[in-house]
Amino acid sequence: MIGSGIKRGTAELAVLSVLQEGPLHGYELARRIEQQTNGALHFTLAALYPMLYRMEQQRWIRGSWETSANGRKRRCYRLTLAGKKKLSPLQREWAELFRALQRLTKVSHA
Amino acid sequence: MPDWPELVRQGLSGLALDANEKDEVHLELAGHLEDSYEAFCRKGLPEEEAVHRAMELVSDWADLQHRILASGKGDPMQKRVHQLWIPGFLTFILSTTLLMTLQKLGFRPLIISWNGTPGTILFYVPWLLSLPFLGALGAYFSARAGAARAIVLLASTFPVLALATAFILMFPIDMIIEPIAGNHVDFGIVATAILKDGASWLLVPGASLVVGGLLVSFLFRRRPPSQRAAITSETTHA
Repeated sequence: MIGSGIKRGTAELAVLSVLQEGPLHGYELARRIEQQTNGALHFTLAALYPMLYRMEQQRWIRGSWETSANGRKRRCYRLTLAGKKKLSPLQREWAELFRALQRLTKVSHA
Repeated sequence: MPDWPELVRQGLSGLALDANEKDEVHLELAGHLEDSYEAFCRKGLPEEEAVHRAMELVSDWADLQHRILASGKGDPMQKRVHQLWIPGFLTFILSTTLLMTLQKLGFRPLIISWNGTPGTILFYVPWLLSLPFLGALGAYFSARAGAARAIVLLASTFPVLALATAFILMFPIDMIIEPIAGNHVDFGIVATAILKDGASWLLVPGASLVVGGLLVSFLFRRRPPSQRAAITSETTHA
C-alpha cells in the first residue's frame, strides 16, 4: 500500500539515499541530488533545510560542524541507524509506486 | 563578496530560536549561499550577477523562517514564549496602560444603560479605536516569530482572554462568597451585570483586537504556502 506521505517521502528518500553514500553538507547534498537526477530533482533552499531539520528531529540524520580543507565551517549530515532503517521501507514504497504507475500507463521502462 | 551571515541574519531576523541555534542556522544557510555564489562565479558569471543568482535561492525569507520553525527545530517552550506569551503580554500591558491613561486624563466613557436593569455598558471610544492597532502589533510579533494563525489570533486577543478568565473565575466565586457574607444574591441580576460587563470589556474590545489580528494574519498568509511540496521537479536553468 502506498503511503499518503509519498510526496514528502520522495524528498526524504532522495536525501537518505544520497547520505547513504557518505556525509555531506546541505549545498553539496542538493547539488549531488540534482546532478544524479540530471536536474530532474531540484531542491529550493526553503525546502531543503527545514526538511533536514525535521529529519534531524526524527533522528534519521545527524548534523555536525566540520572544517573543510579551505578552513570553512560547514554542517555535515550523516545517516543514523534509524535513518538506515527508514530507508528500506521508503525504497519499497517508491518501487511500489513506480510499478503501479507503470501498470497504469502501460509504459514499460527502459 | 557580500557578508553572507549578515544577509541571512537580516533575512531571518525573527527566528524564534535560542541564540546558539539561531547562529547555527544563520551560518549554515550563509555557507550554502556562499557555496552557490562561488559555483556561479566558477561558471563565469560576473560577481554582481553571481550574488544576485545566489540571493535568488531564497525568494521569500518569511516563508523560509516559517518553515524552519515549523520543522520542529528549537525548544518548543521557547517558541511558545516568543510566539504567544511575549506578544500577548505586550498587547495586554499596552492596552491596559492606555485605558488607565485615558481614565487618568479624564476621558469619559460612552455610557449605555436601560431603565430597570442593573449595570451599564461603558465604551471608551478612543481606547476601542486603538485596539485594532494593538491587536495588530501583538499579531505582528507573533507571526514574525513564525506562529501558526491560531496562535497569532490568540496573541492579538490576549487582553480579552485574560479578562475573560478573570470573569469566568469571578462569577462562581462571587456566588459562593456573597451568601457566606450574608448578602442575598439574585442570580438574574448578577447574570445581567456580567453580560453587560462582558459586552463592555470582552465582546467589543475582543472584536476590535481581532480586526488587527486578522489583518496581520492575512498579510502574513500572502506568502507562498509553507505546505507546498518539499521538492520541485523543474529542470534547472542553465
